[in-house]
Amino acid sequence: MKAMRQSTLETLGLGTVLEIFRRGSLPANINTLTDEIFGDANSRGALVISGANGIVGAGKMMQLGSRLIPSGVTMVGLDFAGAPDGIGQQYQSLMAAFGKPKADAIMSDIIRFNYDGRSLPRRLRELRPRFLLEAIPEIIDVKKSHYAIFRQTFPDIEIRSVTSGFPSAELGVGIAHPAFPHEINKIWETVEEKPSAITHLFWAMGLVPIPVSDHWSFVLDVLFCGLTLAALRYHKVSNTPYWKIDKYVRRTLGPNPFRAHDAIGARGANFLTWSCLYHLSQEYGPLFAPSKDLEYHKDSGQDWYPLNHFRPLVNWQLSNEANDEFSDWILGPIIQMTSLMLYEKRSHLSHINAIGELCAQFRKGILAVIRNMGADAAIERVQAYHRLYPQAATGCWYPQTLASLDEASWQQLYVNAEHDGEVGVISISRESYNSDVDAELNRAIDWLKSEKIANVIITSDFHLSTQMVGADTDEFYPALRDAARGIAISSSWSKTARRLYEDFSISVGVINGKRCLGGMLELMMHCHYLIAVEDASLGMPEVTLPVIPGMEGCHWPLRKASSKDRPKILHMLLTGQNVKAKDAMEWLVDFAGPIDDCLKMAWKLVVTKDQRLVSRSVYEDTIDIVVDINLPVAQNPAIESARKAIIDCIRQSCNVPLKEALAIQAKHSGVFMAGPICNNGVIGNDAAKVLGA
Amino acid sequence: MKDIPVAYSRARIPYGTWGSSYFPAWQTSPLAEVNIGQFAGESMNRIMGLRKVPIDEMDILIIGSTIPWHWKFWTAPVVASCMDHRIPGYHVEQACATGLQAVMVAAAEVESGSHDVVGVLTFDRTSDSPVGVFPERRTYQRTYALSDVWDNFGFDPATGKAMLTCAGLAARKYRLDRREVDESAAFRYEQYFNAKAKGFLNKVLVPLEILNIQGKSMGWIDDDLGVRRVTVAGLTSMRELDTCVTPGTQTHASDGMATLLVTGPEKARQLSLRPEIDIQFVGKTEIRAYPSLMPEAPALAVQKLLQRTGLTMSDIVVAKDHNPFAVNDIIFSKLLNYDWKNMNNNGCPLVWGHPQGPTLTRVIIEGLEEAVELGGGYVLIFGCAAGDVGIAAIFKVSDGGMR
Repeated sequence: MKAMRQSTLETLGLGTVLEIFRRGSLPANINTLTDEIFGDANSRGALVISGANGIVGAGKMMQLGSRLIPSGVTMVGLDFAGAPDGIGQQYQSLMAAFGKPKADAIMSDIIRFNYDGRSLPRRLRELRPRFLLEAIPEIIDVKKSHYAIFRQTFPDIEIRSVTSGFPSAELGVGIAHPAFPHEINKIWETVEEKPSAITHLFWAMGLVPIPVSDHWSFVLDVLFCGLTLAALRYHKVSNTPYWKIDKYVRRTLGPNPFRAHDAIGARGANFLTWSCLYHLSQEYGPLFAPSKDLEYHKDSGQDWYPLNHFRPLVNWQLSNEANDEFSDWILGPIIQMTSLMLYEKRSHLSHINAIGELCAQFRKGILAVIRNMGADAAIERVQAYHRLYPQAATGCWYPQTLASLDEASWQQLYVNAEHDGEVGVISISRESYNSDVDAELNRAIDWLKSEKIANVIITSDFHLSTQMVGADTDEFYPALRDAARGIAISSSWSKTARRLYEDFSISVGVINGKRCLGGMLELMMHCHYLIAVEDASLGMPEVTLPVIPGMEGCHWPLRKASSKDRPKILHMLLTGQNVKAKDAMEWLVDFAGPIDDCLKMAWKLVVTKDQRLVSRSVYEDTIDIVVDINLPVAQNPAIESARKAIIDCIRQSCNVPLKEALAIQAKHSGVFMAGPICNNGVIGNDAAKVLGA
Repeated sequence: MKDIPVAYSRARIPYGTWGSSYFPAWQTSPLAEVNIGQFAGESMNRIMGLRKVPIDEMDILIIGSTIPWHWKFWTAPVVASCMDHRIPGYHVEQACATGLQAVMVAAAEVESGSHDVVGVLTFDRTSDSPVGVFPERRTYQRTYALSDVWDNFGFDPATGKAMLTCAGLAARKYRLDRREVDESAAFRYEQYFNAKAKGFLNKVLVPLEILNIQGKSMGWIDDDLGVRRVTVAGLTSMRELDTCVTPGTQTHASDGMATLLVTGPEKARQLSLRPEIDIQFVGKTEIRAYPSLMPEAPALAVQKLLQRTGLTMSDIVVAKDHNPFAVNDIIFSKLLNYDWKNMNNNGCPLVWGHPQGPTLTRVIIEGLEEAVELGGGYVLIFGCAAGDVGIAAIFKVSDGGMR
């Protein structure tokens, strides 16, 4: 088997994506793993979360409880008597996520114990604890004595620390470091000698464990705390208020580091950031030395943003020169810190990249940013930073790690391709489609063609991407002012999508996550076959933003559907409402079923060219579309206008041969994006916030 | 430059570590709608940022204002918090002398060794000034309601007279010629507009954008709104409100802030935009004139200060005053035998308005900038306050200031 690069799934010891299809089943099973970790159903043990009333502990109690309680695992929350009720505070969001009956069921199966920190509750033994998730404060000696107490009573217990900073080697336990917001974020940085059953169970439960090396502060906190520190250093030299630095950092990279601290809870978050930076500075020197401002905010627990009655009054605008210097202050240290992580081989490059996006609000992962910038420009940024802040030049700068940007590990951060000589699999590890994914997808297709692969499966990566949410609307910001930019995006992405139809004998799109929407659905529907797990939600929400679907969504599915089914597609396009895959059989998807059936069907199609599933052909001549579906008038006039524009696009792109339709669709999409309706809609408002700084 | 002892051996004003907002006339700008203390704090932070002065260099903040503002109880510390810099501080106030007194108090803080970098921040919002309600059972009215700006201008409780009346009384005492007063007022406007045209004001004044509660722009404070060109003929045609006082020969209420730093000598060299320039405090004095003769008080204060320092007006390279009435300058000219055309180059409060707290701070900053342009020398700053008070101070700008 050959691959463009190592699959991230392999870092978990779960094989490759291609092997999943070949086997026709997922590589880890929740029931088997639950039995292995917690004992069989007759002797099921408990999961104990210590520090259960804290932000991390309570959040993880909800996330893990909602997944494990149905399997009969008892969830035990342990905390000091008198600790504020963090678990109870989770109830409202639990109800919102699952409804009251299930929320009540989950809460009723959570057992809470108080303890004094020195001895365990007497009745804990009755619950047979098998796994301790430690979420107590970041004080290394306290953590170590906590483990000792547990091991004394439960010698075989598996322990993972949620620490954001201490290496496993220091603590003597494995690490499972989760990302905020803890009740919903699925990412866990894991440190283990080799991927354990617990890590596999997390994966099987739909969470996203990411192996990282056993260094101080792992990857997420180097990025997040490092960015906070960079912002603080800029504050120190410029006086720019934190709120305004946030706006410029958001425009530059995506995160709002100060707002994030306040949102998490300044007292705890400030301490954690300080703790990470302090220990990093002890290990690596002044590049990470916490600033006085941070120490003050750590000690005081004070928010970074002013109170509502002191909402900012005087604006700050950076001149072009000042903005360039700002970029040196922000990008310089982040690139330098990234070079350290690369030098230390802290994780798979796609992991390092994805952690920034999935856990720290980066619009594009830091490696994608560096790749797009180019090595020379990235190195120059760091050097400029060193001129501004010479202390950072004293160590931990590894420019040689940026010398291999042409290698597949850098070039294929989001899209991988594997093949076994017969069948190819393209896996996408980003939930939203953007120009990076587009370029990488083209390279993946080129590679498979160069390898003479004619049959291909395209899917998400079974790891970092658990859903396909559509186009990354950040990419549309330039198109709001320039229709030509929008037309270029639409036509180039559409051409990529058509390659799935034109460049392979058989292409099978497999939707294996919770949903596939918008641009991602348009991409996948270009495959000769579209397969989806039966409960996956499929939809075209563009009308609600509003934009006009830009990747041929206004004609391609209509050309594949029978005339009786076309109203269903029109309804989807004009309402933005989702449909379950099992309800979209034969007019949008070609097969829907349980995951294993989907895997087997996809493999059959590409290996045996199974003809029982008839490919719905794309009608290449003109088609006459009758839009006679009855829709209630939308409350929002913008949606009503968007519907008219979409109908116009449908009519015009369907009323020409297929080869002309792409350009027509792209023009409609691009022109609409530059118009007032889109500019005043969700994307226009987002752009104003991000770019308006 | 004559060599005389300075009042403070340590205190310095680092060149360029200063700035002021424009002073829009009352009710003409978004400043009419904001918490002026917060505005001042955020603006000082912005100005120091533009001057490359990290705000955390500042040890203590002395604020000066005269009109109550929301949360003034919390004084300087809350204003400092608006700069994301939690330092102690306090408030000083002496009507229109506030801006100079605050600077002198800052110098004393440095000289005493208490602090090494003292921020001076003066501000006021005359627009929509608050109304105080004072229950006082011994008075006939039992409860007084007092509109802070206009009721105070209109009634000196020591004499029962308005400020405008003071100007008329002083004009009569010195037998001023209405024509000369009008000519001097017209000249002051000319000085201001010349300074504006040659870019002098850009060295001192910083445009500031005001945000509403949603973070959207309410507009820019980028002009001394309300200042219009005048002519002698136009002034002559105006009706006298009192002797030699017309709407054109008195100042107007306005809003704004002004700030500067006072430091020890080492910090001055470190923070100054031009470390070779040394700005020191020569001396300061105040006097009280006879009741309701406020316009003569500044001249009397200057006489006293010159006598004490051994300087004469011929030693002064820049003379600038707070002159709410044009008669102030004519009386000064008579008492000091000094041509009023030689003073208030580049503008004065008669023209750009009267926000009280920051008025004399802006005068100081403009005066120091002018002295630097002229190559250094002694800078005389003076003004009147509250019915019969005069204040004067002299600063020394080292030789060779001009580039």
